[in-house]
Amino acid sequence: MANPVERLTNLLALLLETSAPLSLHQITSELTGMYPEGVSASRGQFERDKRLLREIGVPIETEVAVGGDEAGQTRYWIDRDRYALAELDLDDDERRAVQLAVAATRSGSAPAQAALWKLGAGLAGSDAMAAASVPNPPQLTSTLAVLREAIAARSVVELGYRSLARVLEPLGLLLRNGFWYLVAIDGEHGERRTFRVDRIEGGLSIGPAGAFDRPRVDLGEAFPADPKLIAISESDSESLMTAVVRIDEPQAGLLEQHLGSSVIHRRLDDGSIEFAIEYRNLEAMRAWVLGFGPDAEVVGPDELRSEVVAWLASMVARP
Amino acid sequence: MSSRRTSEQRLSRLLVMLPWLMERESVPLSEVAERFGLSDAEVTEDLELASLCGLPPYADELIDLYIDDGVVYMGVPRVFTRPLQLTSVEAFELLVAVRAALRLPGVDRDGALVRGFDKLAAVLGEPAVSDGDVTIEIEQPPAVDELLEAVRRAEIVDIEYWSPPQDMTSPRRMVPRQVFTDRGRWYVTGIDVAIDQIRTFRIDRIVSLQRTGDFVDPSDDELPAPGEWFQDPTVTRARVRLPASLVWLIEKYPIDEIEYLTGADRADVVLPVTSEHWLARLMVRLGPAAEVVEPERWRDLGRTAAEAILGRYDSG
Repeated sequence: MANPVERLTNLLALLLETSAPLSLHQITSELTGMYPEGVSASRGQFERDKRLLREIGVPIETEVAVGGDEAGQTRYWIDRDRYALAELDLDDDERRAVQLAVAATRSGSAPAQAALWKLGAGLAGSDAMAAASVPNPPQLTSTLAVLREAIAARSVVELGYRSLARVLEPLGLLLRNGFWYLVAIDGEHGERRTFRVDRIEGGLSIGPAGAFDRPRVDLGEAFPADPKLIAISESDSESLMTAVVRIDEPQAGLLEQHLGSSVIHRRLDDGSIEFAIEYRNLEAMRAWVLGFGPDAEVVGPDELRSEVVAWLASMVARP
Repeated sequence: MSSRRTSEQRLSRLLVMLPWLMERESVPLSEVAERFGLSDAEVTEDLELASLCGLPPYADELIDLYIDDGVVYMGVPRVFTRPLQLTSVEAFELLVAVRAALRLPGVDRDGALVRGFDKLAAVLGEPAVSDGDVTIEIEQPPAVDELLEAVRRAEIVDIEYWSPPQDMTSPRRMVPRQVFTDRGRWYVTGIDVAIDQIRTFRIDRIVSLQRTGDFVDPSDDELPAPGEWFQDPTVTRARVRLPASLVWLIEKYPIDEIEYLTGADRADVVLPVTSEHWLARLMVRLGPAAEVVEPERWRDLGRTAAEAILGRYDSG
């Protein structure tokens, strides 16, 4: 039996070079000695080879022969135009720029590296001066790639989310703080909604292209980046609240660098600062304050202060 | 070595290697190996296999190549003259790389990167870079530019760095080598001069930064890939049990796994913990309904931290 890589290379070359579609019988007789004897054994091996070639992106065309000796049999071939990457005419600096972009953001991604090789670039490396870590685990990436194709083609997508089947018009994908979000119009409600891509429960299927008009939306504006501003539960406030939070040095200075001085309520003599922080979501607000440990204290409103005290007291009192 | 490569990996690599070689006719074996991330032996093995490929009606080999004295020679190309088209995942990964890179400091937004990607998009029949279909949000604090300048100049800088466990700042002298962003935060990786080792600092904890005017020679040392530290299996793992409604608070950190328990109203999260102090703060934020299941020595961290914070409210 031939080495699998040799057999696959030959099969690929045969399907690329053939002037007419070939049946399995014709394929195995051309590739003498490469497939096992016997119809079912050679069929099984051929099916595995075909699946592997398709997995690496080879488009294998099929047709069922009508009439003649081969009537009713499936025949296979590869359309060279669909197989090959078209001529790109990339200039050297353009190729180099794409390579550096991968090095800075997708270093370590096997599909990104494979794409670079196809573009005629080399190894991405990982020596960029400024880099971003983009979380694309392989399983998520294939979902993202499907969603993105649906967005580009304006295809309706169906997917499961929070145990419900949804029919969505996808508008765009947003990467924010390490999570991918799908922004889409929910068909049933006709409303724009946001879905965490890693929580899609499977059953993802996409419909025909050109099914709706995709308005240009600012995806970053689809929902607030700050969880403190997103009202979710019944205890959350519809209107915007403002908390005054006192924070000690040196965290006060760091927070001022981060938020700017427009949110400063008052500076105290000991170097601590009272910040005016807007919120709707009580849980997120409480978590934010507690993240500073004993260096932060809610000054007001009273409800928030009592809420934080009660939270801490119940932790201390827990058996 | 070769036994660990699958047929799929070997074939995919051949299909990009062959068209590249065919354009060049002769290339040193070592150059091929380096470019395609393989050993000389692996390249030789795969190319020799490809050279056996032959089909009727060709009397001779379909792929005409030989390796002599460390050089690969290609004959007349017949098949595999063009690389295989990009898969949708590969195209998506390139798009993300380009979009993300365009949000990084120091990248020319009208330059070769956009031109190159738009050529590619046109050929693939895809939307251009300027299309609003995929947005990578990267917010950049002002200190990043200053640190990036220091990386470019290979300049030693003095920073005042706040360390939460001690709740104090301390001076550090460092040579910044790379700035990077991960999950909305910015970090700088460089050589901590006092201990002569690579360290990563959170930029939002740098209280002040001073240039020294001293420079070092550019270095070729390998940097750890951004975000690699939390995959380090030697870092202690904690198992935290919490109400499922609070998962959003914990899942923005690097975690190994989330397991929803029966009824799905509770979840167990396993995560790497590099600092007890950090875990204590996290437990306070997760509150009375959450607990550290293991290791046992950390079970009381949350309560102790809550007591310390409560003390502040009692006295105030």
